[in-house]
Amino acid sequence: MDCLLKDAQGLYISRQRITIATLMIIFTVVLHSFYSSGIYGFGATFPEGVPASWKEIFDVVVSLNTVAFFLAFSLIVFAYGLWSWAFFPSPAVSYTVAALRGLFGQNVRIKHSIGKRFRVFLESGRHIDVRCRIKKASSEDWLGYRFTSCPLTGNNLHSVALRHGMSSKDGRFTTWIEHDELHHRALLMAKAIASITPGS
Amino acid sequence: MADNDTPRTVYELVQLMSSLNETRRAILLALGHMYPRSVSGVQLSRLIGYSGKSRSLYRGVLTHMQEDDMILIDELTPRLHAIRINSEHPLLSVLVELCRKYGKDTSKIYAKALEE
Repeated sequence: MDCLLKDAQGLYISRQRITIATLMIIFTVVLHSFYSSGIYGFGATFPEGVPASWKEIFDVVVSLNTVAFFLAFSLIVFAYGLWSWAFFPSPAVSYTVAALRGLFGQNVRIKHSIGKRFRVFLESGRHIDVRCRIKKASSEDWLGYRFTSCPLTGNNLHSVALRHGMSSKDGRFTTWIEHDELHHRALLMAKAIASITPGS
Repeated sequence: MADNDTPRTVYELVQLMSSLNETRRAILLALGHMYPRSVSGVQLSRLIGYSGKSRSLYRGVLTHMQEDDMILIDELTPRLHAIRINSEHPLLSVLVELCRKYGKDTSKIYAKALEE
């Protein structure tokens, strides 16, 4: 694996650990503070004959505290989701941009936006969207890319796509690639796009 | 396929094969030689010398190759899949043709690996 990517993988794993540890501490604090300040039940009435200990348990479980706790918990889950959507280690950004610049020239315009997305503007005025996806962080093929071309028109899109190892969906060429295929398959994508002449 | 188109298709096939990474290339070569037989995930990971679990092959590589119409996966049972090369793919059909014409000995080696 490329050494930039190795750095990126190490960085990703350590940052992931830090994030999870932080969220677990927040989880514990939330759990403690929400249940230690008194239980605000809904004042449910019980039929005769239910043991008092059951009532107590029911009051704790079905209470405003639990509702608030679940709200806080879903916020924590959401925070983790947001982190893993947005965080992309900078060595991986350098690798991706370097590979694309190596192929399309140093002056090509590449827009990097939050959420691991890149857009490469080709000279012909068309563009390729590159979305990165991190799979199981500790494995060898931890990083993959999703290529999507700009919308194209033509009646032979499907056959052109197949001949370049891709598929066509809604008038766009799309494909999933691994990090070690980035350079070559971006080349094929560019070639496929170039072979569709505008207005045909 | 018209004869004057063949070199072009072979050129595109070489380009496609060299753009794929090791695992995908090995899968296509193995399946091309096995055609028309289909193999299971475990057999395939043995054919290509894959060290990981065959489940991790399915999760990424195989489903993506299926999306790009390079291979076909038939689900026989939830745990058993029959995987074969898509012989109607414009480039891979040539690969299959080449394997059948010149790859008899290689096919034998692959078939032997499955017997054990």
